[in-house]
Amino acid sequence: MEKATLIRFSDVSYRYESDNETPLPLALKNINIDIKKGEFVAILGHNGSGKSTLAKLANAILMPESGKIYVNGMDTSDESLEYEIRQTVGVVFQNPDNQIVATIVEEDVAFGPENLGIEPSEIRKRVDEALKAVGMYEYRFHEPHKLSGGQKQRVAIAGIMAMRTDCIILDEPTAMLDPKGRKEVMAAMRKLNKELGIAVVLITHYMEEAVAADRVIVMDSGRIVLDGAPRDVFSNEEIIEKAGLELPESAKLALLLRRSGVNLPSGILTAEEFIEAFKFSVSGGAAK
Amino acid sequence: MIKDITIGQYFPGNSFIHRLDPRAKLIVTFAALVEIFLCKNFLSLALIFIFSVFSILFSKISFKVVLKGLKMIYFLIFFTALLQIFYNEKGNILFEWRKIKITDGGVYTAIFMAVRIISLIFISSLLTYTTSPTTLTDGIERLLSPLKKIKIPVDTLAMMMTIALRFIPTLIEEIDKIMNAQKARGADLDTGGVLKRAKALIPIFIPLFVNSFRRAYELAFAMECRCYNGSNHRTRMKIMKFTWRDIAAFIFIGMMLAAIILLNHFFGAVI
Repeated sequence: MEKATLIRFSDVSYRYESDNETPLPLALKNINIDIKKGEFVAILGHNGSGKSTLAKLANAILMPESGKIYVNGMDTSDESLEYEIRQTVGVVFQNPDNQIVATIVEEDVAFGPENLGIEPSEIRKRVDEALKAVGMYEYRFHEPHKLSGGQKQRVAIAGIMAMRTDCIILDEPTAMLDPKGRKEVMAAMRKLNKELGIAVVLITHYMEEAVAADRVIVMDSGRIVLDGAPRDVFSNEEIIEKAGLELPESAKLALLLRRSGVNLPSGILTAEEFIEAFKFSVSGGAAK
Repeated sequence: MIKDITIGQYFPGNSFIHRLDPRAKLIVTFAALVEIFLCKNFLSLALIFIFSVFSILFSKISFKVVLKGLKMIYFLIFFTALLQIFYNEKGNILFEWRKIKITDGGVYTAIFMAVRIISLIFISSLLTYTTSPTTLTDGIERLLSPLKKIKIPVDTLAMMMTIALRFIPTLIEEIDKIMNAQKARGADLDTGGVLKRAKALIPIFIPLFVNSFRRAYELAFAMECRCYNGSNHRTRMKIMKFTWRDIAAFIFIGMMLAAIILLNHFFGAVI
């Protein structure tokens, strides 16, 4: 059975308000996307390609200039549905410092459910579950400013999880983190997606992170230029480079080797795949 | 330098005092502060001083920390005492040299004032040492909730306070960063007169303000995403309940009040 659509962008355009008379160019142009329940989608694009705008539109923080966005069938332009939409789609932003509200980890995670008016005992349960899911349960009494970037970001993810959203959009969640923090956040995201079935939309410009997704969308100056499985998307190296992005390291190396005559198959994305293919190619070449 | 400030910090723990209901703690602290000012002689003052010392022992917070918090006001204590010694002319003269007169009344008052200030600091800092800022604001919010009836937005004010508290360490870190950045460009922050130093702070505070506005904007987005709208019926994860501990604390502080009044009545007043 085809999975149900969770977020639908239907012919959406958006323009930021300008400070003067001349209007700014469109940030998004006629976007059509369907994001399904339980999907893991990576949205790629260089700075200013409109990818962060998507997150704010899906969460009813911004309204489209034209077109419609439906979250679980609810129109985001209907103000009375704002709460339900935000309970369905949560957003984690780039800077963890600017999205943590409370002075104690568990109290911050409780902030969302508290706003929804949920019973205290139920909030307790949700907070504990969410903190365990992101591996921050032992830190529940800590002060957020004493945590590392990766830990803070995981607290922010738990804060959204505690609202029991069906989908979490992460807007460059790893941009301000060191490699260790990046790994922690990626692991938490994968766990949410695989074990709890929460749809994850990862907005990023790290190619390596996008490889882990089920589906990759590439954006360039407000338009979608590629949309498909990572392997298919990354085989369009010209379009990707035109969008101001670079292929994942291993894919790029494979491509360069292939161009210079080494016999390698296309569609290599990770280091492991590269090693396998390279071994095969070398031994195969020797046999010939 | 800024990081050394211990007043207003919270030290997690599980002592009797930590486990008091924040509302009870606020009321008891307030009552104790009033009682300090009710003291009229050394006996009653000694009682409240011993109370504050024992409270600290009870909270299991190390005395070092508390004394470190006192460091900032050593000067104030010293200055107050000095003024009393030199300008209070009550009682018998102990020492006289030209225009300087030191009386026993002055010395007593000086000691009295110093002990009073120390007790004040002990008791009030204990409140923040043993209560997380969020719990504290929750407590204040609930104590003040009757004011909602006269249209004072108590919950919004409490939220503002929580956010302010939450961002103090973040902004302190940021000041440190900006200071270093400006020093790296040759800003001279440590020499010169008062006016010159004040001027040198301008390039620190302008970026700080700009960044704070940016932070506020992002935080507002994040809060909206988490369904905050300022006036809805929020619930709380932590339920506040008065327990035997709180009742014991109330009874104890009540007894203290009675004892202080009696001591004031039966033994003469020093001030």
